[in-house]
Amino acid sequence: MRIDRRLLMSTGAAAALFLHAPAALAEPGAWSDEPVRIVVTFPPGGTSDLVARLLAQHLDTDFGQKAVVDNRPGAAGTVAADYVAQQAPDGTTLILSNNAPFTIAPTRFQSIPYEPLDGFTHVAYIGASAPGLFVQPSSGITSLDEYVAFVKETPMTFGSSGVGSISHILGVAVDQALGVESIHVPYQGSSPAIQDFRAGVLDSFYDMVVQNSEMIEDNEAVAIAIASPERNKEIPDVPTFKEQGYDIVIENWVGLSGPAGIDPATAETIHDTVLAVFASPDIQERLKELGITHAAMSTEDYTAFVANSIEVWAPLIESAGIKE
Amino acid sequence: MDVLTLFYQGLLVVLEPQNLMYCFIGVFLGTFIGVLPGIGSMAAIAMILPLTFYLDPTPALVMIAGVFYGAEYGGSTASILMNVPGTPAASITAIEGHALAKKGRAGVALFSTATASFGGGIIGMIVIAVLSPSLAQLALSFGPPDYFSVLLLGLIAASAVSNGGALKGIAMVVTGLMLGTIGIDLTTGDLRFTMGIPELRDGVHIVIVAMGLFGVTEVIASIRTATSGKAAQTVDYNDFYPSKEEWKSLPAPILRGGAIGSFIGALPGTGQTIAAALAYAVEKRVNRRRKDFGTGVVPGVAVPEAANNSATQTAFIPTLTLGVPGSPPMAIVIGALMIYGITPGPRLLTEQPDMFWGLVASFLVGNIMLLILNVPLIGMWVRLLKIPYKYMYPTIIVLICMGVYSLNNNVFDVWLTLVIGAVGYVMRLFRFEPAPLLLGFVLGPLMEEQLRRSMLLSRGDPMVFLQRPISATLIAITVAILAFALFKTEQNRRRRRAAKKANQGETST
Repeated sequence: MRIDRRLLMSTGAAAALFLHAPAALAEPGAWSDEPVRIVVTFPPGGTSDLVARLLAQHLDTDFGQKAVVDNRPGAAGTVAADYVAQQAPDGTTLILSNNAPFTIAPTRFQSIPYEPLDGFTHVAYIGASAPGLFVQPSSGITSLDEYVAFVKETPMTFGSSGVGSISHILGVAVDQALGVESIHVPYQGSSPAIQDFRAGVLDSFYDMVVQNSEMIEDNEAVAIAIASPERNKEIPDVPTFKEQGYDIVIENWVGLSGPAGIDPATAETIHDTVLAVFASPDIQERLKELGITHAAMSTEDYTAFVANSIEVWAPLIESAGIKE
Repeated sequence: MDVLTLFYQGLLVVLEPQNLMYCFIGVFLGTFIGVLPGIGSMAAIAMILPLTFYLDPTPALVMIAGVFYGAEYGGSTASILMNVPGTPAASITAIEGHALAKKGRAGVALFSTATASFGGGIIGMIVIAVLSPSLAQLALSFGPPDYFSVLLLGLIAASAVSNGGALKGIAMVVTGLMLGTIGIDLTTGDLRFTMGIPELRDGVHIVIVAMGLFGVTEVIASIRTATSGKAAQTVDYNDFYPSKEEWKSLPAPILRGGAIGSFIGALPGTGQTIAAALAYAVEKRVNRRRKDFGTGVVPGVAVPEAANNSATQTAFIPTLTLGVPGSPPMAIVIGALMIYGITPGPRLLTEQPDMFWGLVASFLVGNIMLLILNVPLIGMWVRLLKIPYKYMYPTIIVLICMGVYSLNNNVFDVWLTLVIGAVGYVMRLFRFEPAPLLLGFVLGPLMEEQLRRSMLLSRGDPMVFLQRPISATLIAITVAILAFALFKTEQNRRRRRAAKKANQGETST
């Protein structure tokens, strides 16, 4: 089924290419006279919300495509995803797709009211930020090997931004890979966890690494590993799990998706316009500050990426013991 | 540099015409939104957020802050005149405020709240200016066990809020606690009492409960009175200023309310409603006129207003100095700052002194503007509420629905609010007070979270609550309050029994 769909999509895209020949790409520009709604699965204020607002603002100023951000938080992103899946596939309702409703919820919840793959047109990948492991500077630990040696003796408490959050799942993955057992202490979001870490209440915590670079600079926390495939240029001194001998890559990605059945030519225009927005140096700079590594991905590749993410995350979610 | 020099520099920043204008827009919009029942500061800030993208960070922050504390000024107007709180925190003001209005002294209540709000705001500003750096440190040393103990103290003190019978009060607190358990268990991720409804996974939002119980219930209850065609309590301008005696009774509650509010506001995760409720509960224990509380007394109106306004200002302390948002509106403030590439945190004070001190100084300017907006111009806001019932109440219901819908942009929340409102009406018929329910609902989930976190961190050792000095002190105070309350009840019972006996003695002779 999935393959059929992808085939269909690529044939559609090929047909679109044909029609617009000889241009290799659809022309970036407005795709609807109506204002486009970008649904965000989180309340206003977070990183995802900022990305959506940057995108909305630049779609208007750079391409004359009016766009508004529509925050529909709730039930781990499933409320927003369900809502978008039911809208008309005319490109005027899009969702800032991310792990919560698309890779975590399908495994975590017994039933969700939407199909994460067939219910959507996954249009464009935007980028990803990577979480990492932080420990107290007073512990003297600077590498994963030292960490393993330490926790084998005395288990550490680790703070996460909530049950089923990326930081929790990374914590479980690390425990599993290292063969240790830590004590998980969930918080509502990362800032209260970091506050307790600063107060010395928590031994360690997992969170996005770039956003906490100030703490690393001030030596308030030691980041001993980041879960990205390669080191991040903003924090070149933080080694990856991979280079320390543990194959753990868990990233918090964002992209743009719409309801299933967006006409391929429209999808292509949206894709190219979004990529054009994120290619501007001004926005690249903002993304870097937010710790998001931007990459371009074709519509087909993005769909395959979402499908692959669901499979990769499923065993981790199951072993985290949070499956309903 | 000393505080005064820094404050003076901040004042220069805020007195720039552009900043002054945005400060005014903020407080005006805030008051307007606050006066209208149903829409709170959260919705207002979310609405103006896109506007701020076109501003510099300082005027943007000044304007957002203005909306935030302006709404608390306005929130009391509808509470007093119509018993429909403009903001959740104002539901505490409604207890005494509406009682005063029913006695025909709405003017005095409005004047007292404006004065108390101003006093509380200024106290909050002084606290933020003088104590920001050290308070940030204190908040940092507050661990989960300390939070649990302060909340326990709050809950015990809160059981004093009820005006009805003690048993009914406890029943309401427990109902609130139970409502608070709905949703995902934060420690295990299990679903509790969601009945298969996805919208209940995140629990019931405080605004839904507050607007349902206080707003919708009030509208239903007034359907019968509406036929009389009498508009909201009228304000008699001859009776606008408090009597000399009432003037004298104001400063102490304002100071106490301001102090409690400043402290609670600076703790992340608490907020104005808890500040107002705690301050009212404490005042009810210590005020000279404590026996008259509930019947409409000026200090009872002043205390929650002073507390919620000072808490509104000090809420910026953890937000700006730690990057920890104490409440959803504060999370938006952090988001807005991050749009400008400013990361709130311990460095903000040194890296953005103009912005920080500009904001602190704007509290002074904004509070003066609000005092003008709310004392000489109070008639304008009152007129807004004097629209006849047949237009006013449908409008209120629409506004409540809009405000609730704007929380998550979800229709389910609207239905839930209406259901809670209907249940609230039934409760009201049987004289169950909604205030203790709201307190149990607000404090319960926080207490549970901190309790379980403390136990996880101590690896299951409950002694942690007595080993930490802050927590141990708070628990000692709680035990003392509880012992005192029990002693008082016992004493009252004996006295009553003695009186009864004496009575019987009289009748038999």
